[in-house]
Amino acid sequence: MAMAVAPSRPFDYLESLPGTTFYKLYQQPSTALAIFRRMLPDLAKCFVMALLYLKDPLPATDLEAWVKAESLKERDNALSILGRLHILSNTVITDNVRAYKVTDPFASSLRQALTGAEKTQSFGVLWHISDGAAVSIAELDEYARRQWEGVLGYMVGTSGLGIQRDANLSKGVKQLLQAGHLVEIRDRRVEITQDGFAFVLQDVSTQVWHILMLYVESADAIGMSSVEVLSFVFLLSSLELGKAYDKKHLTSNQLRTLTDLADFGIVYQDSPDASHFYPTRLATTLTSDSSALSNPISGSLSGPSGTGSNKAGSGFIIVETNYRLYAYTSSPLQISLIALFTTLKYRFPNLITGKITRQSVRRAIEMGITADQIISYLATHAHPQMRKHNVSRSTSNQAGIPPSVLPPTVTDQIRLWQLERDRVKATPGFLFKDFVSLAEYEAPCRYAEEIGVLVWKSDRKRMFFVTRHEQVAAFLRSRK
Amino acid sequence: MNAVDATEHYETSARDPAPALLTVVLDTNPHAWALLEDSLPLSKAIANILVFLNAHLACNYANEVAVVASHSQKAAWLYPHENPATKISHDADGDVSMNGSSTNNNTTEGPGQVNKYRPFRIVEEQVTHNLRELMASTSGPDVKANNSTMMAGALTLALSHINRRSIAWAEAHGADTAAETSGGGPPSGGHASGTDTTEGLQSRILIVSVSGASDSAHQYIPIMNSIFACQRLHIPIDVCKLSGDAVFLQQASDATKGIYMSLTEPRGLLQYLMMAFLPDQRSRRHLVLPTRVDVDFRAACFCHRRVVDIGFVCSICLSIFCEPLDNGTCLTCGTNLEIGDYGAKPAVVARKRKKKKRVNGPSGTATPTPTPTPGP
Repeated sequence: MAMAVAPSRPFDYLESLPGTTFYKLYQQPSTALAIFRRMLPDLAKCFVMALLYLKDPLPATDLEAWVKAESLKERDNALSILGRLHILSNTVITDNVRAYKVTDPFASSLRQALTGAEKTQSFGVLWHISDGAAVSIAELDEYARRQWEGVLGYMVGTSGLGIQRDANLSKGVKQLLQAGHLVEIRDRRVEITQDGFAFVLQDVSTQVWHILMLYVESADAIGMSSVEVLSFVFLLSSLELGKAYDKKHLTSNQLRTLTDLADFGIVYQDSPDASHFYPTRLATTLTSDSSALSNPISGSLSGPSGTGSNKAGSGFIIVETNYRLYAYTSSPLQISLIALFTTLKYRFPNLITGKITRQSVRRAIEMGITADQIISYLATHAHPQMRKHNVSRSTSNQAGIPPSVLPPTVTDQIRLWQLERDRVKATPGFLFKDFVSLAEYEAPCRYAEEIGVLVWKSDRKRMFFVTRHEQVAAFLRSRK
Repeated sequence: MNAVDATEHYETSARDPAPALLTVVLDTNPHAWALLEDSLPLSKAIANILVFLNAHLACNYANEVAVVASHSQKAAWLYPHENPATKISHDADGDVSMNGSSTNNNTTEGPGQVNKYRPFRIVEEQVTHNLRELMASTSGPDVKANNSTMMAGALTLALSHINRRSIAWAEAHGADTAAETSGGGPPSGGHASGTDTTEGLQSRILIVSVSGASDSAHQYIPIMNSIFACQRLHIPIDVCKLSGDAVFLQQASDATKGIYMSLTEPRGLLQYLMMAFLPDQRSRRHLVLPTRVDVDFRAACFCHRRVVDIGFVCSICLSIFCEPLDNGTCLTCGTNLEIGDYGAKPAVVARKRKKKKRVNGPSGTATPTPTPTPGP
């Protein structure tokens, strides 16, 4: 099931789409720009840009000569990703020379994005509004925070603990969370699932992408084209925070999406009938790096909310080397999150204490939470005092291991507790076997290793196992 | 049981790469552009460079650009400009190269005309607007008075901007202020913001140069000083030479490990920019870069600003002079130097054939060499 595991990269979902979908997606300059910016490794970006304004395809040998011999792996990895995303295509020019070129809807869209030559509405149309009536950035942040926290609060089920549940969560939001198997309704009670636990511990930008991908997947079911929704998401990501945009140019499906996304706090509109909308920080940082989603949202989301503490953005968790944990929070949402992997001991008006134990971590892992999620949650919300301590320590840190905010003993132990359970790792993929000669086995095996799909090989049995077979198969065909 | 070792997990960091700051120094010397009018007018070059800037911005959300014009009588910011004037002035005088820039405004009509990614639009509007203003402020006598370009000033502006942005970036992402700023935190645990300081803002300078060498000889010292500053700060200076050949710029890219390219066909500027100059420092590690083997290392003398092959060097302060000094006093440091019998042919002594003495012959056991430490 596609949504069973939270995607490590938000765009993993995209790679599974068929080529025709890409063809439709790449019609929009904003989509081409977003995919170029977010999904490609550095080297692939260089290739695309170098080929973008070439009239003729570039012979493969020329491209290969451009990359240093020792960077073969990076080159093949870049070419492989470009191929998977249908950005670069192999053609044959005169004299049977293999050549690369940027595929067409992508190339023309990216060129349009760079030069702005064509009159498309791909990057939104500004709505001219008088300064007094405009919504300020702080208000947008507050709106986004309230909505997003409402969604998380609904999932974790904090209503009994004092927070007003689903401030104004629409039915669509609840249905989407159910459809994504993040929550289940049992006896009219909302219960969070394993995936839901994993979800709430992620950082905000990953969460937003997860929700958006769920939305895109469900779009077809409610009669919208997923391509239309996806390109609208990419359009949103290219807008500017604090500016109002005109709704006149949007299609009816996009308007419907807009209303749905407003429930999540991704966009803001005064009323569903308003003639313009504002993207919030959740939307405008979709294709940026995750750390750009800075404090106004993620900080206040993670920090102790509703306690009147003004130190929004600063962490609140202290972990000691003896596995004791102190969290300066009274937010029911945060307390229930910490309780997932900690044995709580005491609760004070603004502080809870607990201990991270083997039992509590194993319990969390059985629920589907990974050690990395726990560690990243703790590191993200670490108290400023811990960061300061870490800075003074990191200067004397030996090279190689990046300094950690958390005590290394604790992070290692949490991982070891997870490894106690993880003895078998399953990788879906394809087995190549029955090679006639060693030479015939070696070449595709080496190729698979270079493009980074090889998982396992056995020289003696002449077998190897890969995660993706298309390119290896093409390679085998080309050798015949 | 090797699997029960958590160290490998340290490598699972999916950190976003540090952004890059590209500073373009554009040589707007009207004399030189007038010569290029047939092959590549300034307007076309600007259009190409704007696409290139957009491409750089497209590569990473946090990438930044800056544009400095190295004009004939001053160096000026094109982007970012602190207080852009509201009125768009038209260039009244009929300088050849300026007519080109005014035809460029089809891309900058008004807001809402062409649908464009906003950051791209802002850069484009500011650059064209400021350039037009710069051209309009250039009077005929100014152009007549000076036929060189203020490369040294432009380089210094670029360097100070890079310095300011680097500090600002480090403050926003660095470890010392991590408590306040990185509340969002890195997505995966196990590493903290301390790693950021090792890889800060990646800055580089691209000089689009049209003026010849003789023009910039009088700025030899400030140019070399900026080059050494770049070398120290690991800022590569890339040079895209459209016409002429500037001695010092070759040295600039050589000393800072940048790229020097002299375009044989200026019309293909965009393709050159996209292929050779777009890759940032990270990508360059993997690419075979166009390098120049025959770098012109000549210097300019301190007395007449002539470019010299062989000159006289003060043994105290290393100043270069093109001819023997009047009374043997160095013009820079004032040391009294003895020139000896300058001009006399050096006496050529036939090299003596020395027989090489064998140090460690077969009978070398007698020599008291220290015994090597026994191997394991």
